[in-house]
Amino acid sequence: MRRPTIFTPELQQRHGKTGWLLGVGGGVLLALSALLPWSYSFEALDGPSLLFYPSPLQVMGLVLGLLVAVALVLGRRAGRRGRVQVGWTAGARAAAVGALVFVVIVLVSIAAELGGLVNVDYGGWVALVGALLALVGTRLQPAGRSATLYRAAARSWLELVAIVVVMAAALFGIAYALDTDDPGTFVSFVVFVGALVAVLVGLGVLGWLSAVSQRHRKVLILSAFLVAYLFPFTQDGSDANMSIATQVIVFAATALGLNIVVGLAGLLDLGYIAFLGAGAFVAAILSRSAFSTLDFHPPFIVVVLISGLVSATLGLIIGSPTLRVSGDYLAIVTLAFGEIFRITMINLDGEAGPNLTRGSNGIPAIPELNLFGFDFGEPHVLLGIPLGRFSNYYFLLLVVIALIILVFSRLNSSRIGRGWVAIREDEKAAEAMGVNVFGLKLFAFAGGAFLAGVAGSVKAHIDVSVTPDQYNFLQSAFLLAAIVLGGMGTVLGVLVGAALLILLPEKLRFVSEFRLLLFGLTLVVMMRFRPEGLIASRRRQLEFHEDDEGLAERIDDQIQPSAMKGATA
Amino acid sequence: MTAVDTAPVAGRSGEAILVARDVTMRFGGLTAVDSVNFQVNRGEIMGLIGPNGAGKTTFFNCLTGLYLPTSGEVRLDGAVIPPKPRKVVLAGMARTFQNIRLFGNMTALENVMVGRYCRTTAGPLTSILRGPKFRREEASTRERAQELLDFVGLGHTSDSLARNLPYGDQRRLEIARALATDPKLLLLDEPTAGMNPQETRQAEELIFRIRDSGLAIVVIEHDMRFIFNLCDRVLCLVQGKALIEGTPAEVQSDPRVIEAYIGTGPEDSAELEKELES
Repeated sequence: MRRPTIFTPELQQRHGKTGWLLGVGGGVLLALSALLPWSYSFEALDGPSLLFYPSPLQVMGLVLGLLVAVALVLGRRAGRRGRVQVGWTAGARAAAVGALVFVVIVLVSIAAELGGLVNVDYGGWVALVGALLALVGTRLQPAGRSATLYRAAARSWLELVAIVVVMAAALFGIAYALDTDDPGTFVSFVVFVGALVAVLVGLGVLGWLSAVSQRHRKVLILSAFLVAYLFPFTQDGSDANMSIATQVIVFAATALGLNIVVGLAGLLDLGYIAFLGAGAFVAAILSRSAFSTLDFHPPFIVVVLISGLVSATLGLIIGSPTLRVSGDYLAIVTLAFGEIFRITMINLDGEAGPNLTRGSNGIPAIPELNLFGFDFGEPHVLLGIPLGRFSNYYFLLLVVIALIILVFSRLNSSRIGRGWVAIREDEKAAEAMGVNVFGLKLFAFAGGAFLAGVAGSVKAHIDVSVTPDQYNFLQSAFLLAAIVLGGMGTVLGVLVGAALLILLPEKLRFVSEFRLLLFGLTLVVMMRFRPEGLIASRRRQLEFHEDDEGLAERIDDQIQPSAMKGATA
Repeated sequence: MTAVDTAPVAGRSGEAILVARDVTMRFGGLTAVDSVNFQVNRGEIMGLIGPNGAGKTTFFNCLTGLYLPTSGEVRLDGAVIPPKPRKVVLAGMARTFQNIRLFGNMTALENVMVGRYCRTTAGPLTSILRGPKFRREEASTRERAQELLDFVGLGHTSDSLARNLPYGDQRRLEIARALATDPKLLLLDEPTAGMNPQETRQAEELIFRIRDSGLAIVVIEHDMRFIFNLCDRVLCLVQGKALIEGTPAEVQSDPRVIEAYIGTGPEDSAELEKELES
């Protein structure tokens, strides 16, 4: 992992002061450029073309510029005393890199949308120069000590306020991102968010936040769900974004189920989509659709259970002979199972076998759900805000995903979860210590399948029709990609991964055209630089960096204070 | 504090706990262990020595259920041991490994808690619902694990990652993890390999304390001084056969043992080398 260094320590020593001035100047320049027009035409992006009237994107540039300058100024003034260190330099560096990427993306987008770089007005170039200066300036600063803000304990009300602020920002950010139709603006916004997160990591604020969220777990989870429930109310009855949101949640719920298998038990499952499909088919066949092939229509709650059980049974059938072999063999068998499932569903058409699924036509016209007299197909008005069909399903899906998250996290921090970690670490030793290796693997496999079946039963009603071709290998691969990208073994990571994988193709035409290419490239890059995923659990991070002693020491240091209260890492 | 819940019963001390009768293990044409008889009594430390390739580890694996002996049987507390490592642990026999096999990315405490796995029963449902049973069991698991860490002298490191512990501590942690399975018999595979004299002395003292709490212990070791200090009886294996069994003094002075380790003359040692290579 050795990278060539341009800014050597000697260079930093000699030009530290100049660098500091450059950095602050660059940051201020970038911030001021927000007041200047960045493009000649109002058509570009969100219209950054007016003097002294910054568009939202320009405000983001301003924020990044100010962050560089402020972090540098405070970094100079702050003493190096005390147990708690703020990573001012690291924060400034992250802000500078983020600002440069952000400005470049904005300028390229302007050029792409209006046809050529000539359309970039002087303000845009000023911003670019500012960002470049900031980058060079921050790089000339000697790297400070790493942030230890996670050690800081603030007053409880302050911590709660922090959680509320983060949640509000998340709600606002998601609503804003979904509202942007312009691809350039969307990408720039995503880069801006990424830069902000990087700054927070650099400063150590994110470390503090994660320590806070560990102290106030319940508040955090409650407020996260509150925010998720509030989201449809920001949409003003529009179903377009809610349709994407339901897709994200179905995908995330399924990926979370898979994360039990992959992230916790460490089994590679390449045919997981089959379990989702099994659940969806069961729900479709048992629904009151005119094309349903069975004359048995129990209430939906029962259908959900049957779907889960059918999937779990399939999991047991495929798992019990194959889980004795490890690694690659399991991947091949599950890959084959996914295909077998799809082809079987195509063949259960009355000709090659009994007519259960109506072959490749599948089962269309699945009626809307109706629970306790609440019709999910009808728009409802709540507090004067209309909520459409997808909003209704969105609320139901939130319940489902909450259940899956509950199962995931509770299993993870129990005797069973410890067994899984032990198996991942050293299967032989785990067996020799009395851990039921085969049983635990089979349980993960069947349990994951059960959850996928449950998600599938809801998905059938949302999609209205179920066909075998919806459940092909590509879908399994995407699920796995969401986990690898987001982070194995964490809930938040999978949520982020799923959101990115669904949102990007929806919002960006070119991403949806080159979807496979781009995701493939992303995964390759991730494997090289951050194999544990964007948001990794500490344990996974350690597993992927077996020979990184520094990381182990750091994490050791982080576990100690929290462990005093009896929390497991 | 005792390492096991059941206090040693004076009258039963000396009664056989592990009996291996005519254990033979063949791999194709090679007979790695040839009708070895072996008995370990309660509250006794039994040593297992022999030159490299003598079949110590194979014999060990027969005892711990990793291999099913070709013929003969191993009885723990009167019952034939099941041919599965997990069930052997359940039956009351725990082991450590020659090359330390801790769960490196877990904390010391979690490592020991994994050892409690086979003595706890919380299933998926109660784990998800967090019923009173689950909470009680988690608390007692944690408490017992901490107790065992204290017992082996690692109480202060319970929140350190196992991979960050010094070498000697890792060995002791492995013993704590094995003790967590509530064994009646503890098998230690070269517990002092790679240790300095001071650590060896600490290990010796720890093993005595474990014995005093009522467990039987089997030790494989190369360090002769260590084993003759430690053990009540010693079995010497050579080329898969039991050469001699007796008190340390008897084994130590037996010319055949010396011969097996050092050889008597040039012809013999050449012969031995040939044997070892084959």
